[in-house]
Amino acid sequence: MYKTTGYFSFLLRRITGIALVLYVFAHIWVIGSAVQGEQVFNQRLGILTSPLFRIGEIALLAAVFYHGFDGVRLLIVNWFKVTDRRKSMLLAALVLTTLMVIAGGVPILLEILHGAG
Amino acid sequence: MSNNGSQQTASLRVQRFNPDTDKKPHYETFTVNITRDTTILDALHEIKTHQDGSLTYRRSCRHAICGSCAMNVNGKNMLVCNVPIKNHLDRKGKITIRPLPYLPVIKDLVVDRTLFWEQYLRVKPWLIPLEDVPEKEYRISPEEVEALNNAEKCIMCGACYSACTVVGSNKKYIGPHALLKSFLRVIDPRDAGVMERLEEVGTDEGVFRCHTIFNCIDACPKGLDPTKAIETLRGLAAKRRAYETAKQQRQKTLNEPIPVRE
Repeated sequence: MYKTTGYFSFLLRRITGIALVLYVFAHIWVIGSAVQGEQVFNQRLGILTSPLFRIGEIALLAAVFYHGFDGVRLLIVNWFKVTDRRKSMLLAALVLTTLMVIAGGVPILLEILHGAG
Repeated sequence: MSNNGSQQTASLRVQRFNPDTDKKPHYETFTVNITRDTTILDALHEIKTHQDGSLTYRRSCRHAICGSCAMNVNGKNMLVCNVPIKNHLDRKGKITIRPLPYLPVIKDLVVDRTLFWEQYLRVKPWLIPLEDVPEKEYRISPEEVEALNNAEKCIMCGACYSACTVVGSNKKYIGPHALLKSFLRVIDPRDAGVMERLEEVGTDEGVFRCHTIFNCIDACPKGLDPTKAIETLRGLAAKRRAYETAKQQRQKTLNEPIPVRE
């Protein structure tokens, strides 16, 4: 195994990509149940509003933003051929992801705590 | 690394594998005396000459130009002939030397490069000359010269190929070394095989298989940039016909005499 920052970003990109595909199935499972009536829909939605899944939402947020920002980084490399900026751009993607996860995750955490209290 | 006057000792942890006796590779540690200028290859020579003659590795020129001695040192691919060993010792004076990753090991630090060369031949690395050779010189822009200078410094050591994660999982992938060579020929104004080359590399076994992991750049001992070449080829492969026409047209127009500057 040849480990570099590029490999690390590739691995994260793959893992988040697979996680997002799995999330889409879960999403369809819930939203698709709307055609089966209100009761089924609410029942399925109820499972996903448990604290465990709310924390999972924060992880989802991290996966979405990392995958997105890293994808944009590769697009920038493709368009502008700035391969020498690869490491600083990866750092930027990670910082942006962290900021977005804090911005989105703190309200979710507060809501969980408020709901539990 | 222990100091003893100007001389020091280094502990080399070397991956060993003898196909006749071993089922899988193992590590052996050797201690050698080194000075400030001892290279990793010097230390391996010291082991082979004075400690264990069965240690096997490739080397030839000792001037970082033949590409024989590419190995994996502390997890990084490099040429061991021009690298001082002291730069790669850890605090305890240890260094780990393994053969190039993702390639079959023949013995000790020698790997089987058959696939590496087969993929290289796929891109037809030689020049395919034009039928109509221009009467005057070929013309080329300064940017293209810079790109060519970059690509033609490749010494075919295999450091990039064996660092590529895609090569590790997909042996059909052409590889950064061959794609860099293909880029060199595609850009070259003297080459007539643009269409053929772009058709070969513009597939899911070529430039579109690259996951832009950048390992090839990190591994290259000559500081080359195969990723940039692959990214450029991606664009050219997508509009190969237009590029071929433009290239031919350009040589025709450039064949006119250079306007003399007053």
